Amino acid sequence: MKAKAFAARLALALVAAGNAASVACAADFDWKKFQGKTVTFLANNNPVAQALLTHKADFEKLTGITLKVDAYQEQQMRQRLVTVMNARSDEVDVFMSLPSREGPQFAAAGWYADLTPMTKGAVAGDYDYAGLGRALLKAGTFDGKLTSMPMNIEGPILYYRTDILKKCGVEPPATIKDIEPAAKKLKACDTNITPFVSRGLKPAIAYTFSNMLHNIGGNYIANGKSNLCSAKGKEALETYSGLLRDYGPPGVVNYSFQQISALYRSGRAAMSFESSNELRTVMDGGERLKDTALVPFPAGEAGQVPTAIGWGMAVSAHSKQPEAAWYFVQWATSPEIQKRMALQGIAPPRSAVANDPAYRRWIEEEPVRKQWQAALDVLAAKGSSEVGYPIVANPESREFIGQAVQDLILKQKTVDQACADADKALDVLIAQK
Amino acid sequence: MSEAAATFTEDRQRLELAALSAPAVIFTVAMIAFPVVYTVWLGLHSFSSTGKQSFVGLANYSRLLADTEFWHGLWVTIALYVLSLVLQLVFGVWLALVLFHAKRLPGIVRSLFISPFMMPPVVAGMMWLVILDPSLGAANYILQSLGLPPSEWLASPVWVIPTVALIDTWQWTPYVALIVLGGLQSLPPSVYEAAQIDGASAFKTFQRITLPLLLPTIVTATILRSVDLLRFFDIIYITTQGGPGNASNTLNIYGFRVGFEFFNIGYASALMLTLTAIVFGAVLAFNRLRGAVAW
Repeated sequence: MKAKAFAARLALALVAAGNAASVACAADFDWKKFQGKTVTFLANNNPVAQALLTHKADFEKLTGITLKVDAYQEQQMRQRLVTVMNARSDEVDVFMSLPSREGPQFAAAGWYADLTPMTKGAVAGDYDYAGLGRALLKAGTFDGKLTSMPMNIEGPILYYRTDILKKCGVEPPATIKDIEPAAKKLKACDTNITPFVSRGLKPAIAYTFSNMLHNIGGNYIANGKSNLCSAKGKEALETYSGLLRDYGPPGVVNYSFQQISALYRSGRAAMSFESSNELRTVMDGGERLKDTALVPFPAGEAGQVPTAIGWGMAVSAHSKQPEAAWYFVQWATSPEIQKRMALQGIAPPRSAVANDPAYRRWIEEEPVRKQWQAALDVLAAKGSSEVGYPIVANPESREFIGQAVQDLILKQKTVDQACADADKALDVLIAQK
Repeated sequence: MSEAAATFTEDRQRLELAALSAPAVIFTVAMIAFPVVYTVWLGLHSFSSTGKQSFVGLANYSRLLADTEFWHGLWVTIALYVLSLVLQLVFGVWLALVLFHAKRLPGIVRSLFISPFMMPPVVAGMMWLVILDPSLGAANYILQSLGLPPSEWLASPVWVIPTVALIDTWQWTPYVALIVLGGLQSLPPSVYEAAQIDGASAFKTFQRITLPLLLPTIVTATILRSVDLLRFFDIIYITTQGGPGNASNTLNIYGFRVGFEFFNIGYASALMLTLTAIVFGAVLAFNRLRGAVAW
């Protein structure tokens, strides 16, 4: 009994000591520690970075660090990163990265600095590491190393026109199987409207297709081999391509988010399966604000397994000043900055921010924002970050998924030929080390 | 001054000139040679998608010969090249003749004629992407207003190459026209006076005098456009990214994607060196032709 009481007191003392050390560490934290240094940030010029960089001056004022920003469009940013990293250059200290896409590849190449010790070391008292979405942190962890800190959460969701569906007597689809009959009815009801639109551009398809595949109950790899020719894989390929071919806009094979949002915003599409990030673009001008509803993609046989990904901020393994770089990453992913970004329409990867009163007020202002947040809550709770094959050559794997879908949209192959050709090429990628 | 002293002074001056210009020459040669040598070196190595490199000799080149996507890319490159070049030469010569003979054409109209090639290709690509959008674009609206069926333009595997060729022709015809116009202005008037005295018709004059005399200029324009067309990238990347499927996947687009999207720099270098060899081959062939048609 005495031994038990002693052990309990000892444990209590150790916990207290640990907490004290942590408090001391947070108390010791000095934002000005790297005053006078310059940190270079390679940014993707997307809404996430644009929102973040509106607060750049605050970071420089807080830390005394000069932030040099190199901003490019997504593909050009990767091109620059590849060149810099292959040269082992220290030109870039911090870069934006999509763990679901290039994570395994960059991690295997050793391009990411391990952030694990940084999150346990120099951390400001109000950082709230535990408040960051677990699934997103997991998606950015490779071989036990945390490679990036989540900046946002996003995923494809279904936008639909309540007025058109009502006019045509169509119920919002509750399952994947409901989409085709709904689209058919819409097509018959109003020939000027595109019943359903989603991504048809080859490299962009995996983002939305993966959601459908997972909802149907399919998976990309089984027993170490590509699995597109499984019954579920073929069902997903046929359903996705069939919806776009029979109910999508002409030229859908060149459609990515820009074209989809433009079509929907102009009022010429009834259902649009596109990224949650497009809310701002779609609602720009206010025309769609009152006639749009948002839901996660309808369930399939496996229920709802939405795609949920997020941009992350990574420190370059070749940076000569990883600690100063970490200060920027920490500031950019802090609750305060993510709260400010949330009010700019960037979905926060922290539940505490999502529940913040100011953010809630912003959400409550419009029904469509409430639905958007509800859809994001589902993404956060049930989401899968698997977009394309979970292999090192993930970007290349997306090509073959896209090719198979396009072959079917363009009726260039049967589903058996398309999936077999894709599986053959994908097996080679899976086998690559 | 004795002859020996004069020779000494000349040699010294020559040495001084060589010494003074050497840094610039070395810098220029290095700037040209380094990227080429580095690309050759990259092409002899394999880079895994994780960045690990190993020497593979000519394996990238033998892989290339067995790569169906390479042969498809070569076919697309040549098809696009031939179609665009023919259109640009025909319309370029025609536009040059219009500008040459329409002496009273106001400067603003002349500037308007030649303005497309001053537009950055990325802007031109974006502009045409919007115009040719099958659902929202102006092109289909015009077709339908005229009672014609709409087209899928860049989204059709059949029409994508002619459509891209048309966009490039729209942009670069004025450039060809300017070169040809320069050639027209340098033609000797006496030949035309003689033809007029002999009673030659306008068509015969064009066929027997203008065209043969213009051939060296046209070949020059062909060389300049060939180099650009074989390396054609920007408008395709902006409008189709090589699609739909791989219908507009030229060698340049394919090489870029292999290198910068799939991170296989070694194979991409082999692809790009092969394309460079094709460009050089075309330039050499046209240079010989230029020698043959010179007057």
